[in-house]
Amino acid sequence: MTMPSEINPSQPAPLAPQPVAATRILLIEDDSKIAQEVVEELESRGFHVQHEESGAAGLSMGLNAHFDVMVVDRMLPELDGLTLIETLRERKVHVPVLVLSALSAVDDRVSGLKAGGDDYLTKPFAMEELAARLEALLRRPDNSRQTMLRAGPLEMDLIERTVTRAGVPIDLLPREFRLLEYLMRRPNQVLTRNMLLEDVWNYRFIPQTNLVDVHIGKLRRKIDESGKPALIQSIRGAGFMLRVP
Amino acid sequence: MARGSCCVFRNELFRTATFRLTLAVVAAMIGSAALQFFFGYSQASVFEARRSDMLLLREASILQRETPQELEQQVRDRATDDLRILLNVTTLFDSQQHYIVGDLHNWPADLVADGHVHVITPEATGGGSSTVLRMVAVKVPGERYLVLGRSRHMRTELRLMMRHSMLVSIVPTVLFALMTGIVLSHRALSRVKDMHEAIDRIMEGDLHERLPAGKQNDDLQRLAGSVNRMLDRLEQLLDEIRDVGNDIAHDLRTPLARVRARLDRALNADHSAEALRNVISHTIDDLDQSFAIITALLRIGEIENGRRRAGFGTVDLESLVADIIDLYEPIAETKGIALSHVTGDDPPIHVLGDRDLLIEVLANLVDNAIKFTPEGGRVEIRTRMNDGCAMLQIADTGIGIPAGERRAVTGRFYRSDKSRHIPGSGLGLSLVSAILALHHARLDILQSRVHDSLPGATMNIVFPPSGVVQPGN
Repeated sequence: MTMPSEINPSQPAPLAPQPVAATRILLIEDDSKIAQEVVEELESRGFHVQHEESGAAGLSMGLNAHFDVMVVDRMLPELDGLTLIETLRERKVHVPVLVLSALSAVDDRVSGLKAGGDDYLTKPFAMEELAARLEALLRRPDNSRQTMLRAGPLEMDLIERTVTRAGVPIDLLPREFRLLEYLMRRPNQVLTRNMLLEDVWNYRFIPQTNLVDVHIGKLRRKIDESGKPALIQSIRGAGFMLRVP
Repeated sequence: MARGSCCVFRNELFRTATFRLTLAVVAAMIGSAALQFFFGYSQASVFEARRSDMLLLREASILQRETPQELEQQVRDRATDDLRILLNVTTLFDSQQHYIVGDLHNWPADLVADGHVHVITPEATGGGSSTVLRMVAVKVPGERYLVLGRSRHMRTELRLMMRHSMLVSIVPTVLFALMTGIVLSHRALSRVKDMHEAIDRIMEGDLHERLPAGKQNDDLQRLAGSVNRMLDRLEQLLDEIRDVGNDIAHDLRTPLARVRARLDRALNADHSAEALRNVISHTIDDLDQSFAIITALLRIGEIENGRRRAGFGTVDLESLVADIIDLYEPIAETKGIALSHVTGDDPPIHVLGDRDLLIEVLANLVDNAIKFTPEGGRVEIRTRMNDGCAMLQIADTGIGIPAGERRAVTGRFYRSDKSRHIPGSGLGLSLVSAILALHHARLDILQSRVHDSLPGATMNIVFPPSGVVQPGN
């Protein structure tokens, strides 16, 4: 499931952003196998991971120490994940939380997000997916009310719904515009195919075909300039990234 | 051990339905005998009373004709001779109702000398007799009264006789019924025992075992027949599951075998970074394929077991189709396929469903349609109403599905021979079937009529009228 992130030597390891001060992650998960795998994976990416096995221990840890992001399993002994998150939110702990659950339904996801979770991932998941989502939570997108987005040579006018590259207008379909806006709000960040499907198209299933790749391919052909490096780069085994110098 | 099992067997005997039925029948027999006795006795006693009255009145009318002297003589004789068996009381009283001659010494208090028969209780006779008597008093010549009486001893005798005969007849009848019941129950029990043994063998894993088929065409036999048919069906389902298991194993094994072979080669051959990267990249592709199969299987299981309808709401088919076209248009374009939405004149159609799941259905069907349609073809999505049913059709100009394979394609891992070369988990349509079953909708596979020159397939999803949301509701 995991793979070395330095497959392509021309790219610096994209999934390990080398946090300035080690990012602290609280993992509350009772399945020791999954926990061990997650801890090893995240630590190899330079995160500092604190692992708790029960809901009660996780809650007291979450209330008493500072973490940058939490990963909480839904089904926990003593105190279930959703109650834990609700309690954290009641005590004004606003650390972003990613909820983990067994393969399950949409209503589960909805209740997970309602309880105060920020993202939701069903088991089994790829480590790249988890890492990308954690990074997305750590680097909250720029959702301020600005009307212009800039990424490298790209400029997006959110009111006029226009995009220019180095001043040259690019004609985009509405769906391409939505996709590019999502990417431009998250520059230099790995975005998995599932994240794109969920957030841009609002779909929660894994299509049989490489749908997202086709959409990205179409967008690339419109925004890239020949002879210059591609703005949207494929991250092998993980997803895509809008690389801005 | 033998005694123990014998006792158990005897206990079982008393618990069999046949034996319980026997007990009920025996109780009914006793009840009916009692009723027979009661009605027979009451009928006989009415008859006996009437006979007594006739006898008394006839005797009285005969004795009335005698002269006073002769009558007195007769009464005296009667008090002692054999006729007392017929008439138990014969007495003469004077006009003041004082005793003259006979076997009754006091005038009974309740007796009126009106020539009619009266029932006189023992107290009224002044303690002379202890039984109830039927009496008649008539005036006889010489200003005297003649009193004749007959006791109810005949009726008592009759009752004794009938009770006795009933007891004598009921005991052997009941015993016979019980014996029959025990024998019948024993037979039923031994058949049930055979069935139990057969079921035990089935539970131990011998799925080919069936319940014994007897010659009788009774309810037990019909039940055994139903159970056997159920076992046939279960065995067939188990075989199917075993086949699916084999298919899963095969479909998972193929990419894994490739991974293994490739890694093996990489270990022994050229170690350049480029070559190794290539190996790893292919390996990941193959592993992804295995994961896709596992994920799809889990998802189907989840949908089939979950029966969750919590996410149900009103879904606008037009917007559903618009979204799916938005999602799949680029991929259709790359293959040079025209993907379009064709609507009829119907007003917007709304169905009751889970939007996320329905999108998944459409995505799978459109995905398939594009996959199996050659370049330059067309895929049309049509929405329309038909007989109160909402129809959602995905028609293509692709290779089509032969009529003989149309049922099988929704089975797990079914891949038409024509399409073996096209990648896919082979689970898309079973996922579609599972989701549609949750919606009580049906999937029909028809022949396309878009281009008659091409034998394309049309996937026709039919939502029943109960799943269609009427405007305004």
